[in-house]
Amino acid sequence: MNRQIRGLGILVIALFLAIFVQLNVLQVMRASDLNRHPGNTRAVVRDFSEPRGSILSADGAVLAESVPTGDAFKRLRRYPEGSTFAHITGYFSLNYGSEGIEQQYAKELAGRTPKLELKRLSDILLDKKRTADVILTVSKRLQAIATFALRGRRGAVVAIDPKTGAILAMVDAPTYDPNPLSSHDGKTVSAAWNTYLKDPAKPLLPRAYREAYFPGSTFKVVTSAIALQNGVTPDQPVYPRLTRIPLPNTNNQFLANFGGESCGGPLKEGLRVSCNTTFAQIGLDLGGAKLSAGADAFGFNHRPPLDLPAVAKSSFPPEQAFLRDKPAVAKSAIGQQDVSATPLEMALVASAVANNGVIMTPHLMAQIRDSEGQVIDTYQPKPWLTAMPPTTAQTLRDLMINVVEAGTGTSARIPGIQVAGKTGTAQTGRGTIHAWFVSFAPAADPKIAVAVIIEDQPGTNDSTGGAIAAPIARAVMQAALQP
Amino acid sequence: MMGALRRNTELGLIILAVVLTAGAYALASLGRTASIPANELPFVGVIAGLLAAAHIATRRLAPDADGMLLPLAALLNGLGYVMIARLDHKLAGLQALWTGLGVAAFIVTLIVVRRARDLERYRYTFALIGIGLLLLPLVPVLGQNINGNRIWIRVGGSNFQPGEIAKIVLVIFFASYFVEKRELMSVATRRVGPVMVPDIKYFGPVALAFVVALGVIFFERDLGSALLFFTVFIVMLWVATARTFYLAIGAVMFAAGALFSYATMNHVHQRVVNWLNPWVHANTSGYQVIQSWYALAAGGLSGTGLSLGSPQRIPAVATDFIFSAIGEELGLLGTTAIIAAFLLMVGAGLRIAARADSPFEKLLAAGLSTIIGVQAFIIIGGNIRLVPLTGVTLPFVSYGGSSLISNYILLALLLRISDSRTTAAATPADETRVG
Repeated sequence: MNRQIRGLGILVIALFLAIFVQLNVLQVMRASDLNRHPGNTRAVVRDFSEPRGSILSADGAVLAESVPTGDAFKRLRRYPEGSTFAHITGYFSLNYGSEGIEQQYAKELAGRTPKLELKRLSDILLDKKRTADVILTVSKRLQAIATFALRGRRGAVVAIDPKTGAILAMVDAPTYDPNPLSSHDGKTVSAAWNTYLKDPAKPLLPRAYREAYFPGSTFKVVTSAIALQNGVTPDQPVYPRLTRIPLPNTNNQFLANFGGESCGGPLKEGLRVSCNTTFAQIGLDLGGAKLSAGADAFGFNHRPPLDLPAVAKSSFPPEQAFLRDKPAVAKSAIGQQDVSATPLEMALVASAVANNGVIMTPHLMAQIRDSEGQVIDTYQPKPWLTAMPPTTAQTLRDLMINVVEAGTGTSARIPGIQVAGKTGTAQTGRGTIHAWFVSFAPAADPKIAVAVIIEDQPGTNDSTGGAIAAPIARAVMQAALQP
Repeated sequence: MMGALRRNTELGLIILAVVLTAGAYALASLGRTASIPANELPFVGVIAGLLAAAHIATRRLAPDADGMLLPLAALLNGLGYVMIARLDHKLAGLQALWTGLGVAAFIVTLIVVRRARDLERYRYTFALIGIGLLLLPLVPVLGQNINGNRIWIRVGGSNFQPGEIAKIVLVIFFASYFVEKRELMSVATRRVGPVMVPDIKYFGPVALAFVVALGVIFFERDLGSALLFFTVFIVMLWVATARTFYLAIGAVMFAAGALFSYATMNHVHQRVVNWLNPWVHANTSGYQVIQSWYALAAGGLSGTGLSLGSPQRIPAVATDFIFSAIGEELGLLGTTAIIAAFLLMVGAGLRIAARADSPFEKLLAAGLSTIIGVQAFIIIGGNIRLVPLTGVTLPFVSYGGSSLISNYILLALLLRISDSRTTAAATPADETRVG
């Protein structure tokens, strides 16, 4: 019998070895996958009842905080500014997880970064928990002014410091109130969620960084930058005056100027009046390869490294796409057809011109402080891309000053401050236009770059980018520069 | 001399188990309220008292018995209690009571059973008791249907699972029956192809065990116990006869029975489906095992810390999923410690079997060890989705009165077998006491 008993021992060891292997798979190898599994609400629930740091604006306003409650979760997440910062802070919901800064900086807010845990080790026996506050680059004041400027419209405003990449204001409309989504009452949460989800205006969508639009004529800034690097100067060559331009390889298809106007002349003139025929010709002269490479250098087809979840890419067709479709080259050069850009990307385009051709990494976090006010982390500005050489940027800046002083962007003029900008009126293909404006100021020493989009306006002369988007950009720039 | 050394080892290890349990209890409270529990000292007093009683009983009643088993049981019981107390305060009070009764049953078993071999004589009585206990839940008024399993009876104000005691009683019966018949059952008289097989009439017991197991699955819906009975039966038959043939036929019958149950019984089908792919029904029938996976993953290598995880999210965590709760709060280190403890326990049991003098004692010790090992494997395997989930308890760790009491009886029997002095020299006085 002893042989069988030994055999039995080996069998039992084999069974337990199988358990040990599976435990290693679950608890070590696949642990982080399982912890991140979408159906796993454990992390949210755990964070829900634990202390959580606040989110603060650059000027010290509380944007999100946890207040003690008497119920099972012990703490409730509150957003004192309501909807104004919703698309930045996001929400912190038991049912729907988290979004925005709440998700991006979840570890810091919950005090689970290595730095914070190291500090916590020392006070493990004291009944306290170190969490961290996230201080943003956005100020409550500028955000409120941008929100007010955008009131009643559907669109977005992104303001950025071109020298550091710091987001100064980022507003979407319509938006939502994160408070009911973060409630402890399941019914309140799902009622609010369903209302927002059913709304055709998509209030839950952070348009500023997650929705891409036709950039329209604002893209002419990119086309100009590419042209200036390829032998075109502000005054040479001189393009013919046209009302429309025939598209190559087509049977009498034309690309017309806005409102059927007649325009032409050198690049300087073409940008000033936003002449489609001139830029279509410039695009055709440059060719698909140079346009594609140039757009890439501005960040198209790349995900901007903004510290928020699921930032959308802007897109410009690859070189190959133009090989068979010549007309597309002309249309892409004026920001139509398959070109799309997020408001964030267009703000980065403006910031590239403003910052001698360098796009700085966009960011929202300015500082992380622990619950006792000690600084844990301070954001250090770093470049993201080089869009063009400094000389090109300086030339282009002068052309954009001209647009605001004597062209389509005159409604962005600020007394005493030189503004550089470019309008855009993008056809949506459904009979409406998107009104765009990108700009920066002061032109000589830029402190703010702004992109504004107003969605789906009737395609009339008083709803162009210059007419309705430029004044919003002016309001934001003026507020930032003349407090 | 040998006995004194073993007892002192036992005492040292018991003190270690008490220290570990007391420490875990304090940590669980620190994790919850950031303070040492008010009842820490009484708690330490009670567990120390209970274990001291068990230890003194072994010193007096089985001085040469194995010194590892009781401390291992104490550790598992202690950690299980801390976990239960952290999960459900009401259950903790009851579990404390069950632990007290378990230790009492341990002592009583040592007192009553002075020589393991005496049990051999009452084999058919045990067979009847065993089958009676198994069928008890089916008795109309007495039997209780809880969570779809009819394995409970209601005695006084509380529920009891007679199957837990039945498994020990039946192992005693199997041991004595196989020892008597093993000569006959191991003689191969027929040739089927290249394999020599015993006479057909000796398949009778195998067939009977098979039918009983299927009956338990069908009428009591207790998949885990059926699997446990059948496995222990086949293993003991194999150990007794040294015929690998029985393992083979057991495996074949197991496969056939599993396929049959899967095809005909909805509750078995459901278990298998949940095992193969719980994600399809992640919010309904697959919920429990998926939550168990999440718990284990949340624990990671070193765990969230006692009271700092959320194992309550697993339904029936204190009874069926206590292992996953330990996995969440103590991590891979904790779960490894638990499986190591079980492995040591089974190892100690099998060592007792190997060293026992009589075939009956050998077989009984092997059978009892197999119960511990297989039962732990079935439920841990179910928790981690290595095998389909069946609701048996994790010996000594899970919440459950019947389970705890029967496991302490099992432990006492193993200690009794290992106490070589009683097997070597039995006095007539002992005989009368047994009667």
